[in-house]
Amino acid sequence: MVATIRLSVPGTLRYRPIAVRTVAEAARLVSGAPPRDPKSPNFDPLAHDVRHPFDTAVVSAFMEIFNNIAIHAYQRKGGGRIEIAIALSKDSIVIDVKDDGRPFDIDGVAELPAELDDDSLPEGGMGIHIAKTMLDEMTYEPGPPNQWRLCKRLQATQVAVGRS
Amino acid sequence: MPAPFDVHQTNDETKLTIRRSLDINSAPALADAIDKIVATKPPRVTVDLSLLDLIDSSGVAALVKLYKGVRSGGGTFKIAGARDQPLAIFKLLRMDKVFDL
Repeated sequence: MVATIRLSVPGTLRYRPIAVRTVAEAARLVSGAPPRDPKSPNFDPLAHDVRHPFDTAVVSAFMEIFNNIAIHAYQRKGGGRIEIAIALSKDSIVIDVKDDGRPFDIDGVAELPAELDDDSLPEGGMGIHIAKTMLDEMTYEPGPPNQWRLCKRLQATQVAVGRS
Repeated sequence: MPAPFDVHQTNDETKLTIRRSLDINSAPALADAIDKIVATKPPRVTVDLSLLDLIDSSGVAALVKLYKGVRSGGGTFKIAGARDQPLAIFKLLRMDKVFDL
């Protein structure tokens, strides 16, 4: 059975934390990662609880795509919306993200340098690389609307103990 | 609520502690602190990420800028305590070796 969660936010970075927290909680429903213990002495209710490898991959990729849309598609000015549909099954997540901003030239993204040293360490252009590498599959169709699809499957070895 | 980062400077070490999330929204606030640290040409900088839960490419870019600034001033740079999602990102970007993790 697939459950779908839909979220629509204005296309600016102000709404990024809401979207990221929603995706993190959705990923946790698939991974089964237990939440932090609120009785723990170091418990911080504002902490981001992203520790499971599956949650890590999904949230890392989503953050980069949200950034990309707010900065490139909507040019940091907003003026449009970001429509997010999260489809959950027992062992996978598919996140569709749509915007009506400028199309992004995904083929123009440079690869990371083969060897990293003091001179070649990049100070930008890492976002798409992070998203692609973290996911099993990522597609982008320029629009309007521009459509991103982010897919991640839960590996058998990643199933958390105590998952219900 | 504690600030998302703080800087503790002693004679021989500058320690930058970053909490919760270093991302496109929080990195600009850190940029000023980074410029100030680099301007002092510190001999040794340690960035404590043991309280950092999330990082994105903007956060990584801020740390790369600090790393380059400290190194070009002749100092050493180390990241301590990276865990979970931030550690996974550094490894994915193959920065774990450069950052002496």
